[in-house]
Amino acid sequence: MHWGTLFDYICKGLDTSAPLAFAALGGVFSEKSGVVNIALEGGMLFSAFSIVWGSIIFHSLWLGLLFAVVIGMAFAAIHAVVTITYKVNQIISGVALNILAEGIARFLSQNIFGQETQSAMNPYSFPSYRGMNVFSLVVIPVAILSWFVLNKTVFGLRLRSVGENPEAADTLGINVTLMRYSGVLISGAMCGLSAAVLYPSRWVSGMTGGRGFIALAAMIFGRWSPIGAVLASLLFGYADAARISFASSIQIPSQFVQMFPYVLAVVVLAGVVGRSRAPAADGIPYEKGED
Amino acid sequence: MKRFNKYAIYEVMAPLVGFAASMALLMLIVVIVGENPGNAVDAIWKMTFATSTRTATVLSTSVPLFLAGLAVAFAFRANIFNIGVEGQYFIGGLVGAMAGIYVPLPAFLHIPFVVIAAMIGGALWAAIPAALKVSRGIHEVITTIMFNNIALALVNYLVNGPMSGLGATGSLEPQTRHILPTALFGNIDWMFRAVGWNVPDSVYLDYSLPVAVLVGLLVWFILFRLRIGFDVRAVGTSTDVSLYAGIKVAKVQLGAFLFSGALAGLVGLQEIFAVRGYYTFQIASGLGFDGIAIALIGRNSPVGVAFAALLFAFLRQAGYGLQFFTKVPNSVISVITGLMILIIVVSNELVSRYIKALRKKEAM
Repeated sequence: MHWGTLFDYICKGLDTSAPLAFAALGGVFSEKSGVVNIALEGGMLFSAFSIVWGSIIFHSLWLGLLFAVVIGMAFAAIHAVVTITYKVNQIISGVALNILAEGIARFLSQNIFGQETQSAMNPYSFPSYRGMNVFSLVVIPVAILSWFVLNKTVFGLRLRSVGENPEAADTLGINVTLMRYSGVLISGAMCGLSAAVLYPSRWVSGMTGGRGFIALAAMIFGRWSPIGAVLASLLFGYADAARISFASSIQIPSQFVQMFPYVLAVVVLAGVVGRSRAPAADGIPYEKGED
Repeated sequence: MKRFNKYAIYEVMAPLVGFAASMALLMLIVVIVGENPGNAVDAIWKMTFATSTRTATVLSTSVPLFLAGLAVAFAFRANIFNIGVEGQYFIGGLVGAMAGIYVPLPAFLHIPFVVIAAMIGGALWAAIPAALKVSRGIHEVITTIMFNNIALALVNYLVNGPMSGLGATGSLEPQTRHILPTALFGNIDWMFRAVGWNVPDSVYLDYSLPVAVLVGLLVWFILFRLRIGFDVRAVGTSTDVSLYAGIKVAKVQLGAFLFSGALAGLVGLQEIFAVRGYYTFQIASGLGFDGIAIALIGRNSPVGVAFAALLFAFLRQAGYGLQFFTKVPNSVISVITGLMILIIVVSNELVSRYIKALRKKEAM
């Protein structure tokens, strides 16, 4: 193998890993605060639509990205209101939002671009280097920042405390609702960032292809830690890039190459990782002490 | 008991309010798009309940949705989140189709045989995630998502490779050989006529409907009439208390997971055995995810799941009606479905808060 090919592979892998890593980091913030967010998939899809839409409206990719982040947060805010304020089952809210995101994106696309399944071409895009969208590199500082915020700041400590033991946190005067809203909204913003790498040149219906769920898996695989989640995303991303880069040169049916990242994940989980533990109050709505 | 009934009225109100509110929202969107609401209602009516043929279509659309919802619900009852219904019905359908293609049997045996084969296929696909869950505590959400993707690649390989029937069927779309006629799910009009209900010829309902009804009854019986069902519900309520009460939690969860997979195996049968007559990896996808929403709206009870599945089937047909007869795009239905689920669950919560407040007042 040429060094050039290897270098291409390294770049390509980062490109396929980055959307997963952003979304997985979002999942970490949400679940560390105690809210399961399976609407990452919908958030990514709707944000991917929004970045194209926003860039075209504002004639600027950066404003488009800002728009996608805001839309991602607004979308996550629905999840927050429904699950934190109304204490509805977090999974059902996530399922509903995934259905909703797909519907809204298609509906808007029909009315704005005249086609239900894809948007117009977006003339604005981040520069590409050897098949890699350079925005992918942003995931590295974001991951370090996430680690710092969660583990080294008061905000992070409070966020984790409401995910582990909301009663105790409440007793200490921490605003459980506020912290959980923050966690969920950050996950929405991360979906917005993932959109910056995800979209090639236009939005296409179903373009996320289950990446939100893979990101969720990466988060669990990474044991709910920011660095772990990013490393797991890299594993999935690079396995996926291997499929794309080397499928033609390997003498086995392409479908088995396609399975490889997923089989790898199961094997690694079964053999190496062992029990992983979610934040103790993850998925449980907090009822402020009464009765 | 009397008090329970009084509050039950409020509990039934929540879904009705959710449905009414989402229909109102639908009409609002219709107006925004610039269509006459009267036309929209007419279009929905024409596609759903205008004729017995359309109503039968709604009923038949609800069958796979019901089975998917039931599969998810059974797992939820044991505190397992089976996101893998998707992969389990692709594999279940494949194993069912193999039983229908390669095993010649007389008709009265062949249909039950393929149904059981599909259930075994679905259960097998759930087996590894189930085993990893109970033996090593690996979260089923992650493993079942992985297995969904593996299943898709696997059936893609089999249909394009060893099981390809391209030469035999003359179709250009990748598919298996045709299923033997003895295993096909035919029209069940004769069943209605046997009980004196003379349905028109245009009504098409196939064997998957009675299969779904039987399976629904079976699940109800297991959950609410058998000891094992009690154990499943106990585990779902609290694993700690169940352990304390001497229930073998791991065994119960393993069994519930496998049975959920078996139920999931049935989801694709209608399309494979009644509509297509062969297997392909292009059978409808996404039913496993619909099943999650249906199970949760139906509150994990077989009856509730049946109603939720009918509701989803109605919405789906309504969407086709809108697309066909008006300028409202079909995607509106996804928007409305998502919103409706949210409104129903939020009003459920508000209702239970209201009941709580009423109880407190009464107690004072």
